[in-house]
Amino acid sequence: MDDDSALTAAADEVVDGGSNGQPSSANGSAPRRRATAQSMAASQRDISVSEFFAKNRHLLGFDNPRKALLTTVKEAVDNALDACEEAGILPEIWVHIETTGESRFKVGVQDNGPGILKKTIPMIFGKLLYGSKFHRLRMSRGQQGIGISAAGMYGLLTTGKPVKIMSKISPRKPAHYYEIQIDTKHNKPEILNGRGEGVDVPPGEKGREAIEKLGIEWIEVNHGTRVTIELEARYQRGRGSVDDYLEQTAIANPHVTIHYQDPDGNAKSYSRVAESLPPEPKEIKPHPYGIELGRLVAMLKDSEAKTLSAFLSDTFTCVSPAVARRICETAKVSTRANTKRIGRHEADALYKAIQETKIKAPATDCIVPIGEELILKGLHQVVPAEFYVAATRPPAVYRGNPFVIEVGLAYGGEPTAHKVSREALEELLSQSDSRTLRQFLATSFEGLGFEAADRILKEAGLKTRISPGKLKKQSIDKLHEAMRNVNLSSGQSMNVLRYANRVPLQFQAGACAITQTIMQTNWRAYGLSQSRGGLPSGPVTVMVHVASVWVPFTSESKEAIAAYPEIQKELRLGFQAVGRKLGMYVKRRQKVKQEGQRRAIFLRYLGEVATACSRLNGADRERLYNDLLRVATKKTADADLRFDESGQPIIDEDPEEYGENVLIVDRQNGH
Amino acid sequence: MTPSTLEALVMPKKAPKRVPGEKKTPVKYTEQDKKTLGRLTGLADGVVLAAEKNREPHVDIPARTLSNVHYSPKKKIIEMGGNTNRRQLFNLSQAKSYMQTLLVATGCKQLIDEGKTTSIRGLFYILKHTIEGTKEETFSDQAECDPIIEDVEVALEALREELHVYASNRGTMVGEITLIDSGDEIDCTRLGSGGYSIPSICEPDVIRFRKCDAKFVLHVEKDTVWRRFNEDKFWRKHKCILTHGGGQPSRGVRRLLYRLHNELKLPVFCLLDNDPWGYYIYSVIKQGSINLAYESRRMAIPDARFLGLRSKDFERCGLSKSVQIGLNDTDRKRAKQIAGYPWFEHKKEWQHEIRQLLDNGFKLEVEALISKDISYVTEEYAPQRLREKDWLD
Ligand SMILES: Nc1ncnc2c1ncn2[C@@H]1O[C@H](COP(=O)(O)OP(=O)(O)OP(=O)(O)O)[C@@H](O)[C@H]1O
Ligand SMILES: [Mg+2]
Repeated sequence: MDDDSALTAAADEVVDGGSNGQPSSANGSAPRRRATAQSMAASQRDISVSEFFAKNRHLLGFDNPRKALLTTVKEAVDNALDACEEAGILPEIWVHIETTGESRFKVGVQDNGPGILKKTIPMIFGKLLYGSKFHRLRMSRGQQGIGISAAGMYGLLTTGKPVKIMSKISPRKPAHYYEIQIDTKHNKPEILNGRGEGVDVPPGEKGREAIEKLGIEWIEVNHGTRVTIELEARYQRGRGSVDDYLEQTAIANPHVTIHYQDPDGNAKSYSRVAESLPPEPKEIKPHPYGIELGRLVAMLKDSEAKTLSAFLSDTFTCVSPAVARRICETAKVSTRANTKRIGRHEADALYKAIQETKIKAPATDCIVPIGEELILKGLHQVVPAEFYVAATRPPAVYRGNPFVIEVGLAYGGEPTAHKVSREALEELLSQSDSRTLRQFLATSFEGLGFEAADRILKEAGLKTRISPGKLKKQSIDKLHEAMRNVNLSSGQSMNVLRYANRVPLQFQAGACAITQTIMQTNWRAYGLSQSRGGLPSGPVTVMVHVASVWVPFTSESKEAIAAYPEIQKELRLGFQAVGRKLGMYVKRRQKVKQEGQRRAIFLRYLGEVATACSRLNGADRERLYNDLLRVATKKTADADLRFDESGQPIIDEDPEEYGENVLIVDRQNGH
Repeated sequence: MTPSTLEALVMPKKAPKRVPGEKKTPVKYTEQDKKTLGRLTGLADGVVLAAEKNREPHVDIPARTLSNVHYSPKKKIIEMGGNTNRRQLFNLSQAKSYMQTLLVATGCKQLIDEGKTTSIRGLFYILKHTIEGTKEETFSDQAECDPIIEDVEVALEALREELHVYASNRGTMVGEITLIDSGDEIDCTRLGSGGYSIPSICEPDVIRFRKCDAKFVLHVEKDTVWRRFNEDKFWRKHKCILTHGGGQPSRGVRRLLYRLHNELKLPVFCLLDNDPWGYYIYSVIKQGSINLAYESRRMAIPDARFLGLRSKDFERCGLSKSVQIGLNDTDRKRAKQIAGYPWFEHKKEWQHEIRQLLDNGFKLEVEALISKDISYVTEEYAPQRLREKDWLD
């Protein structure tokens, strides 16, 4: 398929240009011939994908030690969740990270999934491009068959340690324990333990003894898999960290329980808020709309169908024989034509005919959105805010692939910088690799930009250019004070959480269609401030979920979503849906705030007025004051009220007013 | 402004912490005091009553605006109309001035209770303090306080002196009169070069006229001109009283002129600059001001006359071009405005006068006459105008 060939093409390029640092060919202008076709042929050979990716690890998300740690955790967790869901098991995941040396960590991820059959374990963990998800159109987190073996390969390359797998498919059957390393030359697994056969661990008490003896890390479950990878990495909290990833995973997967233990031994759990699994996504055939001409030609060649009509209705979803006939008629090609004989010209006509024929939208049950209700629950559990709104768009199609856009938004509440404890701050400072304090603040805390960082530093009376690690105790105190006191909501920029098939995307925000579309949306209309073409600002978090049978990533490291016009359009509609409701809420909140300020102004003069009157006529000051206070409260009763769109007061805030899928958390009158 | 000793006495550093009713020395109230106190109490009663009935308290303040004054052709003075502005506590833009209004009232009550008077600046200091629980001052500066004092005057229909507040002295007098000021006899023929400083309160209980040989009053615009006339002993030669008001005459000066005119039957002549400002000063002396329309009836002198300078004087007196001061846009606007005043509107001579000023395109100060001869104004100009009865009415 396309992506497959893209990989090969990339690999070819490397082979051509990269082998001996030789120019690939004489390009006329070269004064002297350095290599001949013959000499070059000697160095031209097949390279394995493993070799290719070992050299180009950034393509898979291993560009630096910090990201390597995250990618490893991520690949293992994604697989665990995919496996559990596919097997219909409510996922419970354990993530343990342990420091094993300077810049060395051991990552262990265990699930309560179905387990893996003995014979496929080595291939899954010791061979790139081996997986169950690539050759199908079905919504899942993993899709390429590279993820976990690449992580294992990275571990092997940096520490020389093999990947350790323990997997069990039933409480009565033995578990299998493997120590595997990938043979990068041949993209093939090598089993190191049990004389190349792995070890079977019997069920029950005996097994427990064996686990103890072999030093296998294992949490007792009836079935499940544990992967342990040791790698060279760096652990640092803040944006783009493992902690962040797990937190965001919890938001988009409210049916998952995660137990996390960080390298410092701190334990944190996210408990599921939904007790049922999302419905099982169905595997589908591609939809004819948007299929590219080249792909259509390739499909025709590969097809085993006897007639064109059969090809169309077998290969594509939503194409009945009647629809197939209409396509053929429009293309002026016989329905009974032999697919192998379809020429370039006819294929072109077919392609055009497909676009012109009315074909119903693909079945939507192949995509399982999180759903508005669960988005609200998930956001509410993790992001403290006052107002939550969610919108799940109806399914749409890009390049023949159905997809669904979901948007959740949380507004109000304290930014994370306000919540950070003195201890946590000190730790963050000591771990930071930011060169300046300013950079540290802007990159470590969600929704805190450089402008807010500057204000914090000014308040704390600290220089912007000090190195975070060199801060004295007293200065840390001051910084902590300032972080709590400075009003961060002005100038704080929108916190964007991006997801593809429930997996958080943490890097390459700028290259992602989600971020780009947010910036192109006019959020000012919804009561947020926004400079032209930038992210809006304010205490607001947006989560965006792109769910599809095939998510169009911009690269293999699955970090950013490609900007297909159909996807951007749906994103825009999603933002508008939540934006409108946000706008209503913000307007009401402003009104309430204004009334509150009005009241405060009256109150500040009441005391003077009461005193003056009692001096003039001897009236009882306290009584008069209380009377006036009562009038003031009545007069500004609006401060206690909320208003609907037409300015009518609402006696009790009623989320129904906003329509469905809005959650309002009363945090003391919204002040 | 020079603070008097009294002012120093009543100028506390901090907010007054006196409990009402707790007086240091018992004071005998005058009848007027009792009346004023009654009105002050009434102001507070209104607040208490409203609050008890769960209503928003307010004070109605007669509007001191152009739209609320009218000219009475019969009395020939500006009078205040019946329009009032409602000032409310529970109105964002009025809350603070409402509070300030009540504060001014308490300040006045305190002064009356203690039998003292103070300047408007003194009152400002009495009332200025930080509002409890805030960093806000009750009054940020005196300019904020002064109009509130005037508001209280009109709202309570009490004159400034009845509230025990006075403005600073402005204006000087000299001439053929002897008066008694607070028990001291003052012979205005024997005051040297400085003259008698006209107090801000010129009520009969402060100033009584003892003996008067003057036949008229000459009021000039400002100190410099007044000094010329005094040095030349104009008042002796022409048997008159010579005053100036330092520009726009204060209430004290106007009140004194009014009393000289009405009680001693002295005609009042004004010698002012030939410009819109000069016309305006004359207008205020004659008909009263918009701002203090409620005081017109005790201050305005409809019979006052305008002796000069006139628009025709540049030619008539043969002045040199260098004394001309060009009119600017505001001057022209003001001049047209004044020409439209009801009391000038139907006076042909005034219309002609103002039109000529505009035609000239320049204004003249009285001092311009000095360019002819240092005593030209006292020896020729003024005597000649008086002799020829050449003035505007
Ligand atoms: N914890 C697990 N439990 C059960 N099966 C697993 C588990 N981890 C991986 N697998 C199986 O191994 C296959 C290969 O996993 P891998 O992560 O290499 O690729 P992938 O998930 O298919 O795609 P991607 O490269 O996008 O992650 C998966 O397709 C899945 O069938
Ligand atoms: Mg995977």
